[in-house]
Amino acid sequence: MILILLVGSIAPGQARAWDSHSAYIIKEQRWEMGVFQPFRYGLSESLEYSVHPVLFFVMPNISFKRSQADLGTFKTATRYSMIYPTPLLNMLSKDNIGGLIDPNITMPPMLGLSGSYLMSKDIFGINTTSKIGIDIGLALGELDTRSNIDLPLVYHRLEVFHNKWGVHAGVDLTKEITRRVKLFMDIDMRLLPDPDKDRGGQEYSMHSGDYSIEHKMLLVWSRSPRFRVLAGYKLVTGDYPYGRDTRLLPYLPMMEKWVPLIEFQWAK
Amino acid sequence: MRYYFTLLSFLLIGGCEPFVTEFSDSATPLRFEASNIDAGSSAYQGGGVKVLTWNMRFGIGRFPFFGDSCGEGVIADEETVANTMEAIAETLNVIGADIVFLQEVDLESKRTGYWNQIQYLLNNTYLNYGVYASTWEADFIPSDGLGRVNTGNAILSRYELGPAERIQLRLRTDQSDLVQYFYLRRNILKAEIPELKVGQKQFFAVNIHATAFATDDTKQRHVDKYVETLGQIHSDGNIFVSGGDLNAVPPGAVTDYCQNDMCDGEDYHTDGAEHFHKEGSYFENFAGEPDILAPLYEAYQPAIREGLINLPEHFTHAPTTSMVDANTIRRHDRKIDYLFTNMEWEDQSGFTHQECWELSDHMPVSATAQLPTGN
Repeated sequence: MILILLVGSIAPGQARAWDSHSAYIIKEQRWEMGVFQPFRYGLSESLEYSVHPVLFFVMPNISFKRSQADLGTFKTATRYSMIYPTPLLNMLSKDNIGGLIDPNITMPPMLGLSGSYLMSKDIFGINTTSKIGIDIGLALGELDTRSNIDLPLVYHRLEVFHNKWGVHAGVDLTKEITRRVKLFMDIDMRLLPDPDKDRGGQEYSMHSGDYSIEHKMLLVWSRSPRFRVLAGYKLVTGDYPYGRDTRLLPYLPMMEKWVPLIEFQWAK
Repeated sequence: MRYYFTLLSFLLIGGCEPFVTEFSDSATPLRFEASNIDAGSSAYQGGGVKVLTWNMRFGIGRFPFFGDSCGEGVIADEETVANTMEAIAETLNVIGADIVFLQEVDLESKRTGYWNQIQYLLNNTYLNYGVYASTWEADFIPSDGLGRVNTGNAILSRYELGPAERIQLRLRTDQSDLVQYFYLRRNILKAEIPELKVGQKQFFAVNIHATAFATDDTKQRHVDKYVETLGQIHSDGNIFVSGGDLNAVPPGAVTDYCQNDMCDGEDYHTDGAEHFHKEGSYFENFAGEPDILAPLYEAYQPAIREGLINLPEHFTHAPTTSMVDANTIRRHDRKIDYLFTNMEWEDQSGFTHQECWELSDHMPVSATAQLPTGN
């Protein structure tokens, strides 16, 4: 789950193609996908959708991005996403190895909705995208307070359902180094207003972590407009019910080593 | 840009801390203080020093935890943990020990709602100072929904604690590498209490939680290290009180509790059973195990004297699973928690607090040590 979230989040871009994080829309009828990256398709010059085909069977998901009127010199777009994580979470509620949620807990039907506003512009040769948005977590039944997963990347996304809402904001930067090589860097913040009050461990509190900051840096090598390789790292720091924590990802627990994040992506 | 790279370097280094803490031999125990310490409350006023040992089962009382009680529960609910922790604090206040040895204390573990149980007990009892040595510290246990775990041994004291030491005990050898990586790393926690120094004799408090489930000779190694640690203090001419959950029965005790501890669907003592004996319920895994504690009884003063140790009123282990018949729970069935000193205990001060059955599957043992004259 953490691997999918980690690698699924890498989609830096250049103008229009390979540009899922920016306000630019993919060209009509072009598709892009990666080993972990969602499938992305241009429905028209102003609308694209993306869906994670592998995850779809255990966590139905879809996202639409629509271009909006330029704001001054900024290109703008809105993105709306929807996920239904219940089947996946119930698969993770199990005995023994692989159980990330107490097996006595059954997750209710849950719907995650997310809306973002994106603004992109080239500033001093750096493709810059700013975004801000809101996340809504709807639980259509009783959500057991003990059903958190205290892992980086996962905790704050799942907490939206306990907290019922959250906000996110971030900045992405892409700099062309050579014709084929680019450097991508971003920083994203997730906030969960009004979680459990942190009483310094003096009482039972499963949901007192209220923010996370995620940063990644990737080197992108494009062999052609149809194939590219990305490698880099992701750094996550945030507040959890046990306090602040920072983790460099991907991380191999038994070897106690960080390994580079590597992703292959194709397009047509 | 330079600041960016400096900050990033710190974060990247900090972000590579081990996923599971394996502890070096010189790992330093964590220290705690009560939020309010009354002036004078930490000064020795003379008389005996009351000591207590208690495996507090991380404050979940009789919650049917999957790891130790044939239960299926993993994450305890808020009401259970809150009520149990409050009752444990009240019990400590009533017993009034000057030094408390705790085993299975949770520090921000998911299974107990991320409580800092040490700080809670210090803030809600007359005890002022604490040290803690983790036996199991992992960012995330990817099994049964356990998640983050940090649990271990603590010494709480009315008096200020001096230098403290976490003494690593040998790991089990009867586990796969994968299981061992995520498994417990047991230890002895030793702390000096300068306030109780008698003349040139330094005063030490020593807490241990020995292996429960090993089927190899790990328990022998743990007891050997414990005997060595106490022997070193003694041979240096110093004094100690010590205790803990040794997970070993006293000399002369019954050694087979497989039937007591058997869960529904399990099968022991029959040909063809996966394991002939249940791990943690059988005390003759290797030659000499039934008398493994004899050296402690020979060298030091036990809080419960040798003639009484196998009497039911001094049994300290109280599993929910031990049944006399289909409807009657055998509330206490063996002694595995101990106190020793190289001083003298006050006559008949040793007591097993079996009234605490609701609060843990182990009963506290307390006794009052007499300091040698000269303080």
